[in-house]
Amino acid sequence: MASIELDRVSKLYGNGNYGVHEVDLTIPDGEFVIFLGPSGCGKSTTLRMIAGLESISSGDLRIGGKSVANVAPRDRNVAVVFQSYALYPHMSVRQNMAFGLKMRGTDAAVIDAKIADAANLLGLQNLLGRKPAALSGGQRQRVALGRAIVREPAAFLLDEPLSNLDAQLRAEMRLELVKLHRRLGRTIVHVTHDQVEAMTMGDRICIMRDGRLVQAGRPLEVYADPVNTFVARFLATPPMNLIPATLQAAPGEGLSVLTDSGAVLAVPARHRSAYGGRVGRRVILGVRAEDFHESPDKPDWQKVAVRVVAVEALGAENVLIGQIAGQPTGKDDTRPAGDDKPLEIAARLSRYFTAPVGSIVDLYIDPLPMHLFDPETELVIARPSLMGAVQ
Amino acid sequence: MTSMDRNERSAFRRRFGLHFGLIVVSAIVLLPPLWVLRTSFVPEHLSYSNELMPAFTTDNYSALLSSRFGQSYLNSLIVALGSVLLALPFAATTGYAFARFRTGGRWARFAVLATQMLPPVALVLPTFTLFRSLELSNSLTGLIIVYAALNLPFLTWILMGFFEGIPVDLEWAAMTDGATAWGAFWRIVLPVSLPGIAAAGVLGFILAWNEFLFALVLSGPATATIPVALAALQTSNGVQIAKVSAGVVLAILPLVVASRFIQRFIVQGLTFGSVK
Repeated sequence: MASIELDRVSKLYGNGNYGVHEVDLTIPDGEFVIFLGPSGCGKSTTLRMIAGLESISSGDLRIGGKSVANVAPRDRNVAVVFQSYALYPHMSVRQNMAFGLKMRGTDAAVIDAKIADAANLLGLQNLLGRKPAALSGGQRQRVALGRAIVREPAAFLLDEPLSNLDAQLRAEMRLELVKLHRRLGRTIVHVTHDQVEAMTMGDRICIMRDGRLVQAGRPLEVYADPVNTFVARFLATPPMNLIPATLQAAPGEGLSVLTDSGAVLAVPARHRSAYGGRVGRRVILGVRAEDFHESPDKPDWQKVAVRVVAVEALGAENVLIGQIAGQPTGKDDTRPAGDDKPLEIAARLSRYFTAPVGSIVDLYIDPLPMHLFDPETELVIARPSLMGAVQ
Repeated sequence: MTSMDRNERSAFRRRFGLHFGLIVVSAIVLLPPLWVLRTSFVPEHLSYSNELMPAFTTDNYSALLSSRFGQSYLNSLIVALGSVLLALPFAATTGYAFARFRTGGRWARFAVLATQMLPPVALVLPTFTLFRSLELSNSLTGLIIVYAALNLPFLTWILMGFFEGIPVDLEWAAMTDGATAWGAFWRIVLPVSLPGIAAAGVLGFILAWNEFLFALVLSGPATATIPVALAALQTSNGVQIAKVSAGVVLAILPLVVASRFIQRFIVQGLTFGSVK
């Protein structure tokens, strides 16, 4: 049993900077949790603090309910898989996998049996006699995993283990890791900066920025309801379009958003009460790339004219980069003075979509999933979630 | 003439010039040792002759080896090896401490190197007085201790650089795998850095092998090392140049072998860390 509890954990460096700032998080036993964030956000530091490889400046850390703030890494019963794999170069694959068991005084026959099991699981049977230098990247990766598995630790801590693999192998290993988690049922903390890994692998995503935990939740929840513009942009490729705008009253009871480029988007009725208090104020309109469509398949989708800047054909889909065409309001105060490059939006369209560069096309926005953010705080303006709601 | 031809011609001229220069410099460097090698095989009375090989003999070598020189050779081996074996464990642990922990800070690191800046002459007399009262003068043990002490800062510094090049992930992996900090050093860092330790050992060996000043002051006839024995060949009857040459050839021999090793180890040591 190994739940991991971070209780206002901080890492303060000698220069007065926080590497990690008051992170509060409880990871129940058996959960697969992802730490996601850009480089330098403190995710790896947090992982190393859980492993005991970095000291905790303040706060408390409990593994299985017991405080481990002053427990040496070897007594925490966690296994770490490093980005560099950190295989012992002078030892064979077998010796690498046996090392942790040997250090714990495990019986030689038991060691052999466990290595055979793990080798079977990971397809390493024919590589046991080799040195790490004679292995490919993917094989080293599996050996590093095997070295962790044979120890049967309470928790696995994975520090960007897939980032040195090529795209295809990474996709395979993503699946392997998920399967492995299902089989072993152990707690896994997986650090990554890859949002595909984050979305597809974990039970829960914890997004970090500048040493702070910004948002934690199930992947689709975080995707659907980001707490701020950072999360909104970080969790997708292309990132969510953030369009400076003003919220205004519309005829009847309605509300609409007037973008600085002059397009008008009516606010869906179910969001009205949440946004009603902000009429006349500046907002940032957030629309995901996939909420742009080529044809008005539903009556409430709203037309917007877009000037084509580029069309990126990705095979399965085409991504249109364009500028919203309209009568600019001249109100854009969100960007620094002198930056008069027109705002570009990205729209995810079907693979059959084509349009010449420079032409103006009509696209249709599905307004229901939209978000409004406060331009000052960059926080989302809360509205009832669509998660679980039937459209 | 096409531009291609012109390019090739100028490339050839450049290469020719470069090689010619290198050959001249190599000749300047290589001729003296080659002449020493030649002289070592020439009888004493013909050794100053202008002929390339007036006569061939191995008498110089047999005479040398049957004299005290043979003992000096053994002394040098014992002292050089002994001092390296004594210094390496200290250098490795100190270097590791500097490389991985905040031991003493930057000042301590610098202080280690600063000891190398004292001129040996300033140390030799105090050492002599000290060793005489400790009855360590005129003994191989004394020389081993002195050389170990003299080489320690240098070896520490080399190994520190080497340990810094080893990814800390390896030690972290060992520590989460159940090793103590010392266990990670002993079982992972040391084996991985063997090439570096070997290179440092060879360098230390060469320094001790060539050392003259301390050997001259601290050794007696029975404990003289090669540099001292070579110097002793300058007698009142003049320099016995053929014998000196034979002695020099014998003295260089282990270093030639060692330099082959050190080259391999240093290259290996430099590339080792780059393996992911």
